[in-house]
Amino acid sequence: MERSQRFWGWIFIMPLTLGLTVWVAFPLGISLVASTWRWDMISRPRFVGLGNFIRMFTADPLFLQAVVVTMKYTLLNVPLQLVIAFCLALLLSSRVKGIGVYRTLFYVPSLIPVVVSAAMWLWLFDQSFGLFNVILEQVGLPPQQWIFSSEQVIPSLVFMSLWTVGNVVVIFLAGLQGIPRQLREAVSIDGGNAWHEFRHVIIPFMSPVIFYNLVIGLINSLQTFTQPYIMTHGGPSNASLTYLLEIYQQGFQFNKMGYACAMAWLFIIVTILMSAVLFKSSGRWVYYEGEKK
Amino acid sequence: MRSPRLTAFQALVTAVLVLLSAMFLLPFLWQLRSSVMTVSEIFISPPPMFPRVPQWKNYLDVFSIMPFGTYYFNSLFIVLVNIVGALFANTVIAYGLARLRFRGRKLMFSLSIATLMMPTSITLIPTFIEWHFFHGINTFLPLTVPAFFGNALFIFMLVQFFKSVPPDFDEAAFIDGATYPQILAQIIVPITRPALAVVAIFTFLGSWNDYLGPLLYLNERRLYTLALGLQSMLSQYTSDWHLLMAAATLVTAPLIVLFFLAQKSFVEGLTMGGIKA
Amino acid sequence: MFPGPTQCGKPMDKEERMKKLAVFAAAMLIGLVLAASCYAASPVKITYIYWGSPAEDVAIQKALKDFEAAHPGITAEPMYLAVTGTGTEYNAKMKAMAASDTLPDLGYFRPEEFDNYAKNGFFLDLTQLANRDGMIKDYLPTTWLSNGGKIYGAYTAAECQVLYYNKNVLADAGVPAPPADYTKGWTWSQFVTYLKKITVDRNGKHPGDQGFDVKKVLQWGIRYELWTFMLYPTVWGNGGAFFSKDGTQVLLDKPETIEAIQRLSDLMNKDQVMPPTSSTTSMAAAQTQLQTGQIGFYVSGQWELLDFGKKGFPYGVGALPIHKTPAQIYLSGANVIFSSTKHPEEAWQLQKWMMTPDATLGLYSEGLWMPTKASWYTSPTDLAKWISNAVHPESFKGAVVDSMKVAQLEPRLVNNAEIITTYVTPALDAVWTGKVSAKEALTKAAAQIRASGLLQGAYN
Repeated sequence: MERSQRFWGWIFIMPLTLGLTVWVAFPLGISLVASTWRWDMISRPRFVGLGNFIRMFTADPLFLQAVVVTMKYTLLNVPLQLVIAFCLALLLSSRVKGIGVYRTLFYVPSLIPVVVSAAMWLWLFDQSFGLFNVILEQVGLPPQQWIFSSEQVIPSLVFMSLWTVGNVVVIFLAGLQGIPRQLREAVSIDGGNAWHEFRHVIIPFMSPVIFYNLVIGLINSLQTFTQPYIMTHGGPSNASLTYLLEIYQQGFQFNKMGYACAMAWLFIIVTILMSAVLFKSSGRWVYYEGEKK
Repeated sequence: MRSPRLTAFQALVTAVLVLLSAMFLLPFLWQLRSSVMTVSEIFISPPPMFPRVPQWKNYLDVFSIMPFGTYYFNSLFIVLVNIVGALFANTVIAYGLARLRFRGRKLMFSLSIATLMMPTSITLIPTFIEWHFFHGINTFLPLTVPAFFGNALFIFMLVQFFKSVPPDFDEAAFIDGATYPQILAQIIVPITRPALAVVAIFTFLGSWNDYLGPLLYLNERRLYTLALGLQSMLSQYTSDWHLLMAAATLVTAPLIVLFFLAQKSFVEGLTMGGIKA
Repeated sequence: MFPGPTQCGKPMDKEERMKKLAVFAAAMLIGLVLAASCYAASPVKITYIYWGSPAEDVAIQKALKDFEAAHPGITAEPMYLAVTGTGTEYNAKMKAMAASDTLPDLGYFRPEEFDNYAKNGFFLDLTQLANRDGMIKDYLPTTWLSNGGKIYGAYTAAECQVLYYNKNVLADAGVPAPPADYTKGWTWSQFVTYLKKITVDRNGKHPGDQGFDVKKVLQWGIRYELWTFMLYPTVWGNGGAFFSKDGTQVLLDKPETIEAIQRLSDLMNKDQVMPPTSSTTSMAAAQTQLQTGQIGFYVSGQWELLDFGKKGFPYGVGALPIHKTPAQIYLSGANVIFSSTKHPEEAWQLQKWMMTPDATLGLYSEGLWMPTKASWYTSPTDLAKWISNAVHPESFKGAVVDSMKVAQLEPRLVNNAEIITTYVTPALDAVWTGKVSAKEALTKAAAQIRASGLLQGAYN
């Protein structure tokens, strides 16, 4: 059995091994080398050793800004996303008429191409004529500056990203569907109420899914790029300059591809460390029904 | 299946759902109603819900200002190939990582997860050069072939789902003499269909709306996809919002229909661990 | 199809062998002739890269087809890039093509990247070709893009800043139309007074009136586009500048520059005649706001005419307000021929064609571009070709066309993108919010730029 598992194991993951070699190792390898270069991609690169990394921490005002902005965004976005998505998934797994329609409705925002939703949200956020301020005015609240203010731009972007929480909801939903009904019924037979069911059946069973959404949500939030890129170009006053946006800017606008690669590698290392910590901790609170102990 | 009775709880849930979905739907409704308006009507404040005269011809106009039909066909083709590749590759890989024990398994899994942390901006150019070497520029290859090598996001997700399936089935089948591929195909896959449906949907979505890939690799208009078509309408010099909204609706409509059809499989999929009493 | 059991293994006799040989030889001969004729008649294929709105796309395609008709033997293949004019995806695509040696033959190129590519030899040197065909004198001197003294490109068109207004809004507010002569534009204070007359809130109050509520404004006086190019006419017109022409000095903290920026900021924060805006966040729908009368004036580029002309509302153009002297900006995308082209002569023919306003007349008459050919500004017949239509108001000649006499280009600094994005735009954004004065923000930015070491001169 041991031999056969090893054989089949490697066969099964062959697409992964190949893919990692061709599509990951090679480009990453180049970018690692490039992180020691001064390179604008069209002229000959110049070797600068650790110069890029040193510059990051000493001579680049935008680097620190990008880190702070990204942390702010992530710390706000991830918990909100998880909680809201989970609650929505619970709601959407109830047996109510037309639940299929509701599920689709909640997912629709995630389907709209970013290019279009950006245009829409720009209009929604418009300070004089946008829908949000019009609504606020109707209910007697003061109009907000939204993405046009350096203080409000991050919360506004988080708000906008919560609108596409359907992605996370869908995965929670799939997980909820898989909880054996007998177990849920067993709780009520034993005299427990909804809270007990929640705490002792749903959460443990959902823990792998929660873990997945936590890790993915964290990684995605740290990599936020498209929205600030399209909507605010990192402004106002670089208040929405996320880390990935800064990498892109350095590489493709300032023609400092080597520096961008250096920034990217720092990011990769930090994210790997963060995920490693999460994975280690998962041993304690994530429960796998199908794992042989 | 019990038919749902309308309890007070369910009525409350419905009310909340309706309210929330209205909020979620708002921007999309704005897109829909703008798609049949004239440009000046779109930005009137406070915004009217319905156009004075529905401009259905906006939809026709979209086809006349660009080869939208071609874009549709190209996008569909690319997406379908991607789904086939993703379903095949990710299932197979995740099964190997979740169920089989072999040295190096943990390492491969970690490497796979690590790729999620790769900002793509820096691998754009090297990957492009690779494809140039493989003669893939100006073809659909760079937009379809990668799906057949797995996607860390889906591998991770499927591993989580596969691990939740009790191993009793596997063992029973193994004793009966089934091989690993058979166990995968006949036992694991049916049980985890909801998760596979999610993979299919996300693959569709990612591929359908992908803009940077087609931009980089495609040079001839006859190969362009819907994402490029939409983007070309957003140039600095035009504000043909009504056409943009119509085009956007044409682009999102199939996704909505697909999702509505697919979400049923979450419900109708066999529940896991249902050892028939 | 398949040899039957009787034919297999039978040796061919001599006659059959000769026949087969003859057929084979004939086939080879025909093949050679065909190949030769294909080669001889094969058209030269050149690829032209460009981007733009669907309207521009249609016009360029037509121009390319017309070129093919006039030049049999050359195929001009359009390569349309679905990018916005301001996006950086364009850079990614260009770099990808450059790195893999798959660049097209010629076409559009963004001016910000021009110098870097030019000095690395990616463009064809056009100096000799332009001189040979006598092109230099026929075009505006600002048309040619050089690097290191050699011509490597030409601006696609001449584009500039325009003051638009909604005729009805002005009439209702009792404000006269701005002058049609660019040398006679209103003074700034006169301009602001008029703007205050137009700006009105839900209770009919104007800025400065008792009880005016800036949060309940129904109609704004003006909206200015605030990205860097759009600021230059105001700054230059006041005697200021951002940087010296040779790119060695920062002039952001010059009093004239500060005053100009402060005036624009005051429009939003002190005079309250303009809705709050920023330099970086894209604006949705300013054009539509002009159309629906939510704003009275709009300052943007002359390319808006393409859009306004189609909308059919009563718009006009007038002379920009004058701070100290009339000023104007010259901006445009660039046209280059890539040095990797295998057909430089044919590419040059196409380049000349696209530089002839007659070839893409629609783009000029519909308002998107202004010509680079000098005669089209002075000769009445040529002028009529592109401005005698409903799209271009009467006042266009005096207010806009003539103002090109004072049009200047932005200095092409080394490290331009980095300086502007890291220091200038954030400073401006802070000023636009009204929380920081122009003096404070610009002085600080100027000091930072000087200390950063990024200021390394300009290209020419």
